[in-house]
Amino acid sequence: MFDFAFNSIGEAIYMNGHGIYVWSVVILVLISLLSFFIGYNLKIKKLKKKFNESN
Amino acid sequence: MFQVERAYKFILYSSLIIYIVSLIWGLLFTQEDFVQGNSYRIIYLHVPASFLSQSLYISMAVASFVYIVWRVKLAAYLVISIAPIGALTTFIALTSGSIWGIPTWGTWWQWDARITSTLILFIMYLGLISLHSSFSNYEKADKLLSWLAIVGAINIPIIKKSVDWWSTLHQSASITLTDKPSIDPSMLYPLIGSMIGFFGIIISLVIISSKYQIFLREKNKSWIKEYV
Amino acid sequence: MNPTRKRRIYNILFVLLFSISGIFMILYSLNTNLDYFFTPSELNNKEISSNKRIKIGGMVLSGSVKRQGSVISFVITDYENSIDVIYEGIVPDLFKEDSGVVALGYLQNDIFEAEEVLAKHDENYMPPSIEIKNDN
Repeated sequence: MFDFAFNSIGEAIYMNGHGIYVWSVVILVLISLLSFFIGYNLKIKKLKKKFNESN
Repeated sequence: MFQVERAYKFILYSSLIIYIVSLIWGLLFTQEDFVQGNSYRIIYLHVPASFLSQSLYISMAVASFVYIVWRVKLAAYLVISIAPIGALTTFIALTSGSIWGIPTWGTWWQWDARITSTLILFIMYLGLISLHSSFSNYEKADKLLSWLAIVGAINIPIIKKSVDWWSTLHQSASITLTDKPSIDPSMLYPLIGSMIGFFGIIISLVIISSKYQIFLREKNKSWIKEYV
Repeated sequence: MNPTRKRRIYNILFVLLFSISGIFMILYSLNTNLDYFFTPSELNNKEISSNKRIKIGGMVLSGSVKRQGSVISFVITDYENSIDVIYEGIVPDLFKEDSGVVALGYLQNDIFEAEEVLAKHDENYMPPSIEIKNDN
């Protein structure tokens, strides 16, 4: 159950030709999550700055 | 507010760890599927996103209901805070499904009931977001948005049941509440882990997007000034 | 509960009821008119003109797949009725005998000329080692 499923790192990336599909989905998910976190934090920072300027 | 901040950090970090560990487990430490080979590993990214895209809509509809009946302002903030995150998860579900479809089905798109109803869900999220931003009066926008969110909730049981009601290319659910899962335990555990982890990550996203919404809408209140 | 809130709940229920019936009507018409998806048995009971593009779903009958150059012929069955299919092109990796398939194309004199062949897989996921165990 916890055995590494591939013989080498290269094989894990290639995944018998399916690697391109699997890893592109991984990258898509990570990038979209990260961009949302960064986006919201930037928006909040901007609002806070506005408060401080108006006070 | 400080407690919320601490809860947010706790949820975010613990769910990030759970998600990443389950992904590594699922992507590298499970055996390949006997039919699909390695492409099945997309399940660890696709299923959590699809599941959340529907549950986020349900929570949005519930918040809309609370807003319409009791006029709780916080519920209206929640509705518009959830919408972009719901759009994100639906987008992930659609694209990951499309990419999965290329090696397994032989096509990246089919007008099949499950896929089409999920596309409708995505369009609905986008429609709700753009509708809300087109109003200059927040209260009017909130009212219209919550009504539409409730009407659109009919799409959720349709998505859920589409694989049973119509002949679809999409397979039926592997994990159900009523039956034994039709997925081997060695593949199921990392899948459950990735679902829990992704759920936590999305909850923390909802927390910061609601925080933004509260800041934006209550900026003239004195308590906000104290907090900032 | 206070009467205004009660009225709002009734409003919600009313709107929901209307939209549900509306959507179901749309879906019903879509299902009967637009989604030409048939199993081989359903195909037997219906007259389908040869210029209508339809989908046929079922299993690939084992032993029926024959290749001649780039042309592939096979039989789609639902274990009651079956239909001959010919297709020119590349089939997906998951296209195998005894596994699910969806073909899109036109019915010409009881032979289905497919333009597109898609593999359908089921909801079962398991590692190959377990399948071998089950076989023994």
